[in-house]
Order: sequence, then C-alpha cells, then structure tokens
Amino acid sequence: MKNVFLKCVWRYSPLFLLELVLAWVLARAVVEGNSLIGAAVDSLLAGEGVEYTSFLAYLLILTGIGFLASFFKSLAASHFSIRVQTRYKTLVAQKLYRLEYRYFDENGSATVINKMNADIAEADSLLSESLPFICTDAVAAVTYAFYVASINRSLLLVMLLCYPIVLWITNRVVKKLKSLKKVHRQKSDNITEIAQDCMSGILVLRAFGAEEHFGKKLARAADDLVENEEKRTRTSNNAILIRRILGWMPNIICAIYAYVLVTRGDVSIGGLMTFILILGRFVDSFVGLPFDVVDAREHWVCIRRVEDILQQRDEESGTEICGLKDADALVFDKVSFAYTKDVPVLREISFRIPNGSTVAFVGDSGGGKSTIFHLLCGFYRPCGGDYLLYGKNFRDWNVEAAREQIALVSQNVFLFPDTIRANVAYANRAADDEAIREACRNAGIHDFIMSLPEQYDTEVGERGVLLSGGERQRISIARAFLKNAPILLMDEPTSAVDVETESLIQAAMERLSEGRTCVIIAHRLSTVRHADRILVLKDGVIAESGTHESLMAGNGIYTAMYGEEEA
Amino acid sequence: MKLTKLFFRVMKIMGSRCVIYLLGIFFMSTGWAMFTVMSSLLVKNVVDAAQTGDTHRMRNVIIGNILGGVLSMVIYRAAAIAYNVEAKRAYGKLCKILYAHEVRLPYAYYEEHHSGDFMSKLSYDMEKVGSIYGSRLRRTVAPILQVLVYLVPMLMLSWQITLCLVGVNLMMLLINGVFIKPMKRVSAELAATNGKMTEKLSNLLQGMEQARMYAAGKDTVVEFVEQNKLYAKKSNRKILFTACLESANNGFDLLCALAFLMVGISFVAQGHTTLGALTAIYSLYGNFSNQFLQLGRYLPELVGCLANADNIFKFLEETEEPESWYGDGASEMQGDRADTAQTATARTDTFGKDIPAVEMSDIVYFYRQDKPLLNGFSMHVDTGESVAITGPSGCGKTTLSKLLLGLYPVKSGEIRLCGDSYEKMSNAEIRRRIAYVPQEPYLFQGSIRENIRVGRIDATEEEIVQAAKLAYAHEFIEKLENGYDTEVGERGGRLSGGQRQRIAIARAILKEAPVILLDEATSALDNESERLVNAALKDLHGQRTLLMIAHRPSTVALADRICAVASSGREDCGNLADMV
Repeated sequence: MKNVFLKCVWRYSPLFLLELVLAWVLARAVVEGNSLIGAAVDSLLAGEGVEYTSFLAYLLILTGIGFLASFFKSLAASHFSIRVQTRYKTLVAQKLYRLEYRYFDENGSATVINKMNADIAEADSLLSESLPFICTDAVAAVTYAFYVASINRSLLLVMLLCYPIVLWITNRVVKKLKSLKKVHRQKSDNITEIAQDCMSGILVLRAFGAEEHFGKKLARAADDLVENEEKRTRTSNNAILIRRILGWMPNIICAIYAYVLVTRGDVSIGGLMTFILILGRFVDSFVGLPFDVVDAREHWVCIRRVEDILQQRDEESGTEICGLKDADALVFDKVSFAYTKDVPVLREISFRIPNGSTVAFVGDSGGGKSTIFHLLCGFYRPCGGDYLLYGKNFRDWNVEAAREQIALVSQNVFLFPDTIRANVAYANRAADDEAIREACRNAGIHDFIMSLPEQYDTEVGERGVLLSGGERQRISIARAFLKNAPILLMDEPTSAVDVETESLIQAAMERLSEGRTCVIIAHRLSTVRHADRILVLKDGVIAESGTHESLMAGNGIYTAMYGEEEA
Repeated sequence: MKLTKLFFRVMKIMGSRCVIYLLGIFFMSTGWAMFTVMSSLLVKNVVDAAQTGDTHRMRNVIIGNILGGVLSMVIYRAAAIAYNVEAKRAYGKLCKILYAHEVRLPYAYYEEHHSGDFMSKLSYDMEKVGSIYGSRLRRTVAPILQVLVYLVPMLMLSWQITLCLVGVNLMMLLINGVFIKPMKRVSAELAATNGKMTEKLSNLLQGMEQARMYAAGKDTVVEFVEQNKLYAKKSNRKILFTACLESANNGFDLLCALAFLMVGISFVAQGHTTLGALTAIYSLYGNFSNQFLQLGRYLPELVGCLANADNIFKFLEETEEPESWYGDGASEMQGDRADTAQTATARTDTFGKDIPAVEMSDIVYFYRQDKPLLNGFSMHVDTGESVAITGPSGCGKTTLSKLLLGLYPVKSGEIRLCGDSYEKMSNAEIRRRIAYVPQEPYLFQGSIRENIRVGRIDATEEEIVQAAKLAYAHEFIEKLENGYDTEVGERGGRLSGGQRQRIAIARAILKEAPVILLDEATSALDNESERLVNAALKDLHGQRTLLMIAHRPSTVALADRICAVASSGREDCGNLADMV
C-alpha cells in the first residue's frame, strides 16, 4: 500500500472495528427497545395485561447496554482518530525535512507551502468528524433496515424504493451548496484582499490622493458580494426546500403503506407504531450519509495533496562524514546545471577554491551566481560534472555532515517568531549566553540589541518584521559566527541599507571571513576588491577571472561593469 | 447595559431593514418547526386511523397535513432568503463604512499600529460581526422559538407527558452544563499545543534554507514530534469527557424514550390519551430535545462576537485625517472643489517664473519633545532644479519627505509649495502638487496599467504608455506576455525590484505634478536597474523639479545641488562641486 494515510489507518484499524461493533450494539438496543414497546402495545390492545416488572427490568438492561456501548464507542472513535492523526503528522514532518530542496523552490514561496498546515488539519476533520459520522450512520441505517424487514419484507422494499431518488437529489443539492459556498468565500476574501492592499500601500495611496478611487473599488467588491449572496441564497434555499419536501415523501408513502398493511392485517398496530418510530431515526441516519460523504471527499482531496508530498523523492545522502586533509575546500569540475531541461544555467563550470582563500562571484542577475550557492549547499545536485568538498565527491558525503562544514549568510534571512537570543542560538543550540553575545558583538549587532528594552529577550515579530533589513542581516551573520564552520558562503545584501549600516555589515563580514574559506556573491563590485580571486559569471560560464587589478588591466566585462557602477 | 447597547448599535447599521431581517429570523425558525409539527401530526393521524379504521376522514386530514407542511416550507424559504440577503447587505454596508474610514486616518496611525497587525485584527473582527448578522443571532434565537412552537402541540396532545419530558430535558441540560467548563479548559489547552505545533511546522517550512543549513533544523522536527505526542496525551482527558457526555446524552435519550413510551402506554390503557397522540409526541420529542439542549448554548458566542463589534465601533471612532492640519486657513485655497482643480493647474505653471518650487524655513519636527529630529531646517529649491537630499541614517530625511507630503504637520516653521503656504492649502491640494516615489515601490494588486494609472485616474491609454516610456519601463512591459495587462501579483511580487521601481516612477510622471519627490529610489536596485532608473531621472532633469533623497553616489551625481541634513537637524546645503 503506497498511500501513507491509509497505512496509518490500517495500523489502528482494530480500534475502528471496535467502534463499528459498538455502533451496531447501540443501534440494536434502540431497535430492541422499540420492538418491546410495540409488543406491549399489541398485548394491551388485545386486552391482555402487561407484565410491568419484567418489562421494566428488560428496559433497564437495554438502557444500561446503550449507556456502555455509547461510552466505549466514543472512546474507541476518539482514540482511533487521535492516534492516526498523531502518527500521520509525525510522518509528514519527518518527510518534510528529508524532501529534496527542489520541491520547495518549484512550489513557490514558503507561504504557499504553509497551506499544507491547513491540509493536515483537514485530515483531522476527516478522522474526527466525517468518518465516525459515516460509520455510525451507515451501521444504524443497516441495523434499522434489518429490523423493518423483520416486521414485514414488503415494507422494507417500499422504503428502499423510495430513498434512492431522495439520496440522489440530496447528493446533488449538497454539491451545489458546497460550490456556492466556495464562490462566497472568494468574494469575501476579495474584499479583505483589497483592504489589505490599501493598508500595505497606504503611503502611496495617500501621496497620490487615491482614497476615493480605492474606496470605490472596495464598494464595488462589497456590492459584488451582496449580489452574489442574493443569488446564492435563492439557489440554496430552493435546494433546501426541494430536499425537505422530497425527503418527506418516502415518510408519507411508507406510513400510508404501513397503514394499508395494518388494515389488511399483515402488520399489528404495535408493529405500525414501532415502524413509524424507527422510520424517523432511519431517515436521519440515511439522509445524513450523503452530506458526510461529500465532506469526506473534500477532506480526501486535501489528504491527497499531502500524500503528493509524501510520495516525493528524498534528498540524496551518502555516508562520508569528514573530508581529506590538505585537499582544496571546494572544487567544481565541469559542473553543468539546469533547473528545467533545455534551459542550462551553468555550463561546464570549473574552479578551485583553496583552503582559507576568499573568492567572489560577480555578474548580472540571472548569470547563475545564486545557483552556484544552491549547488554548494547541496540543495541541488549538478546535472553533469563533479563537485568536490574537501577532496571528496559531494555525492558521497552525508548531507548533514557536509552542511556542518558550511555557514551560509543568505539574502532572505528568516527569523523565527521567537526572542533574538533564540534566533541567534538557532545556529548552535548548545551555545551559552556568553557565546551568543560574542557572536553578536562580532556581527556588530550587540550594541543595537542592548539598546532594545528587553535586550536579548526581545521578541522579533513574525517573519522578523520588527527589525530592519540591516539588523536582520547582522543577526544572520551572528548565526554564522556561532556555527563556526570552516567554509563561509555570503550572499551580499542588496536590500536597502544606509551607508552607516552598510559599513557595519562590511566590517562584520570581514571579521567573519578571517581564517575561513570564503565565497561571496557580490552585487556591488566595490565590496570585493580585496578578494583573492574574482570570478565573472556571464550566461552560465566563467567569462573572466583574476584579482581586481588584473581584471581591470584586462579591460573586459569586469572593467565595463566597474565603470558603470562608478558612473 | 453595555451589551444591549452594542447589540442595538449592530442592528442600527441595518437601518429600517432591520425589521425585515428580524421578521426573517422569526418566520425562518417557526416555519422550520411547523414543518416538523405537520409531519408529526401526519404520523398521529395515520396511527389513529389504523386503530379506528376511519379511512375517509383520514384522507382529508392527511392531505391537510401535507399541504400544511409544504406551506410552512414555502414560508421558511421566503423568510430565509430575506434574512440572508439582509444579513449580507448589512455586512457589505459595514465593510464600506469601515474601509472608507480605514484609508482616511492620519498617517501617524499607520506608523504606530503595525499595518498588517491591525488590518488582520480588523478583518477578523469584521468576520465575527458578519457572523452576528449571518448566523449567531439566529442561532441564539431559533432554539427558543422552535421549542415554543413544539411545546404548543405537545401540550395539546398530552400535557402530562409533555411536562415530564420537559423535566427530563432540564436534567440533561444540567448535565451538559456541568461538562461545559472542564471541556472548555481542555479544549483551550489542546488549542495551545496545536498552535505550537503549527508554529514549529511553519518555522520549518518558511525557514527551510536555514533548517537545512543548521543542525537545529532537525531539532525542530524532533520538537514537533514531541509536541505531537503531547497533544495526543493531552487529548485523553477530552476523549473521556466527550465519551461521558455522549453516553449520557445517548443513554438518557434511550432511557427517557423507553420510559416515556411505557408511561404513555399505561396512559393509553387508561384512556388519558390516544396511541396516535403518543406517537406524535414521541416523534416531535426528538426535535424538541435537540433544540432544548441548544438553549443558551450560542449565547456566549453571540456575546463574544459583540466584543468584536465593540472593537470595530471603537476603530470607527478614531478621528480621520483633517482636510488641513492648520485649521480653517485652508478653506481660502480650498474654495469649492472645482475651483481647487483650477488653482492647481494655474499654480503648476510656475515653470520659468521666479516662484520657488519648494521653500522650507526653520522647520522644527520631533516625535518626542526631548529629541528634536529637525531643528530649524531650511531649504530652498527653485523651479526646475534637481536637488539631492543626503544625510546619515536617522537624521530625518524620510521625515522630511513625509512633512512635504503633508502626512504630518510641522511643529513650527513654514513650508511653501509653488509659492503657497501649507497653512493655506488642504492636504489634498498639497498632495496634488507632489508626485512621490517611495523607497519601497509599492504596487497594488492588479495590472501594470492600473498601477500606473494610480498616478492620475483619468489618464488616457497614450498618456500611460508615454509615462512608461519616460520611466524606461515601456520596453520591459511590452516584452511581458500580457504587456500592460500583466498582473503584478501580491505587492508586485511577479516583477523584479528594478521593474517595480520604474513603474513607480512612471506613476509619478503620469501625475504631472510640478514637484517629484524620490525617497531612496535607487538604493535597493542592482547595477543594471539602477542605470535605467538613473537614466529616467536624467531625462526628467530640467523638466520637473526633482527632490531626491539619496545616498548612492550615482544618483546624487544627477543633482544640481546637494542639501545635507546634518545630525543636528539643520541643513548643510551647497553646490555639488563643493560637497564632493
């Protein structure tokens, strides 16, 4: 069985089975009780007395059984649902960490993937709501049907003939309602979206005096919602009307048919009474089913999406956990790479970065600079050629061990919604306070942190919004200090920072690169003048390489870029 | 009482339509209940007829019942439609009021309240208030109405049995009540654990790059699994409570049904009631009991939502940005609206005349009194001049641009734009004269065309294209698959920073304001984009008055003159040659 969800369900299926059995016991208790009453009515009408003591004792026993069955059924159902959920969530979380990095890139921003949270929550609802309802309803419907057959077979036949139509209509109505609901959701999301948009862009909106324009836009969206709602409520209420009246028909027909059977003497009055009482319960269970099934189907779509992720390939990983002594830190040997076939990003690139040297990549955006970092971190694997880390092919490295060797200061710094201390300590959970402070001092952020009212215990807002770009950058540098890896990859910030902050970051980066092998992606040439070697990337190949002086003397692409920046 | 006041205020939003709405609720609930009564009466008549054998009478009565049922459903439908439509109308109306207010607050409000934060709070509150109209009120009232509707025929059929049933139901209500508190506590605990799990998972997902690069990423997974186990463990209590409650409800239901029937039979035997009435009460009883247990259940939720409504009303009471910061003085220039437009164009034509475009004299501004940011700042910019404003971070450059836009009033000093003092102009008029390019080139959701059009809503197609050309944006826009109709995505996310910035410049050009104010327009760009943006600025040089807050040397070099804001909060202006 490939479906992980079903596997989890199978694992705990005994609980589920128990739930079904108990649901049956409960339904039986109801039936028994009712038929008991029916018999009592008949004997009463026949002028015979009713043996009240034994009758009462029997009823009490039935009630007791009902109590217990209901109690244990609920326990079994909840335990089943919680256990499956827990196991499934654990499996999903573990999978996410092993997944190929490519998956996250291809499926858009992190927020999109965050929707997965919602999908997993849907799995919860399937287990804790839809599934138990379906089971209880189905079991009850079948039990009642058997009982009706025991009164009179043709009665059951009439019942079963009447319901398929109702079932079919109900099913359609439910679907229609669901789709209408979806449109409604979209329309009301639309309003919030526009409002949110206005707020985020309030400076522009205000500066351009566009209040009225956007006010109108919002009013239109609101009117649109109301209009849609009018349509929706008309359709849905027609649907409810039809469903209610049609759903009533079988009851009328069955009741009348039962009456006919009584007049013919096929069924006793007591039988008629119990039949009618059971009919009420039967209808509830029976008509509830399509609703539950449609719900379940929707949940299932969400589970399928999660399953999709679970079926993805894991990240490759080898067994080597340490490099060769005296080997070069990083070597690319004719490495080619493409994110999608036929669109090569890197073509047979080769370079050697000796231990302790500083190398900078420059070039236009889209030239492949970031891709090289992706490869160096092992987020992607070369399509051709070899990448050696400390003399061993990256393929053979254990991924986690390989990443131990590398500290990455990237552009999109993610700060967790936690304290500053915790965010820095993310690089090394074992680090003590002094080590964290030292790292922050080195990153040139300590003074800033101490100026905050709660210092290291300051909570950074969600996604680090309360800190400026420069501050976030420096926290990420502090992390790199704390990790203390021999190789440092730095993607220079392009985000807006003022001159002062820029020099702070520059100083921190210089301190960080001391004694480490250092690879820099530079967006401004002025910052990498002192690199041991500068590699100029253009269209996926290394067009030029050398020191700043030799490249300037060469009067090539680099010189042109430099001139442009100075201008 | 405060709650009732709030409630009336929520209802007042609807105006006189409130009557239709309330009638809708009434007939919706009673119509639904009447249908159930009809179907129970039908059952009664069938059983009675079976017992007595009176076929003829039975047919008429049954047909009557069926018609009654259909009629009550038709009433239900009409009421439901009226109710739902009114509910949505009220929601739409509140939306309009709220959002119109929201964009008109003083700018300081947006800075003090983190925009995303108060927005998401507001839309959450709105959702809740919408649910008062859409469901909560009805849910609270409906059980009462329905129970009343059921009680009447039940009492008529047999008051003795009905009173017994009400008693038993009261007991069940009590049992349910006992569980409410512990259940709530356990649920809150579970929700907290669940929240932690969600946080861990989203940390892992959003920070995937970091998670892979640091060993702590693996810990996050381990922590998630631990929380997950904890959740399962904590669930045990809830499971037990649920089981108790469910068995109490089911068991009681069974017990009371059977006991009721037993008592009923003896009543029938003694001739107090008929078998048919017994059956009818029994089939009504299920619905009755359902609704009875709902009594009061939704009231706390309704009260909770009223608290949300309170937030909304409080927000609506925030004062909006005044027409002018300087009181009535603005009315002189303001005149009536049509007039204002005229003055704007008249004054815009100061080109080549001696009226200076921008004059700032002795401006003082501070956020906190003891820390003046601008302290006697003066600046003078001639029409057609390009001036770069520089200075260390935190010196008040950005504040300067906000003062110029009239987002805050100056504490003292005077600003003149095209010869007119800010004290004599409305804020709208001030902003009509300045086209602003912010540091973060915000794009609204929609197409590129719509985004440029924000500059001037009534601009023609040609004017938009012309502005895009001047901003060096036309070329890349044409290359996009849908050209000017390309959707820019959330916050313009589908375009690069340089592309967004050029669209923002096109927007400013389209506005045709005499002064263009650029706030660090090139600081976030890569070399290539910076070159294009600078080229656009170069073309504008001499055409418009340009105020550029900048620190990139390449942008500063475009200016005729530099004006540095010193950390003392005063100016330090000079010619470009002197400064470099």
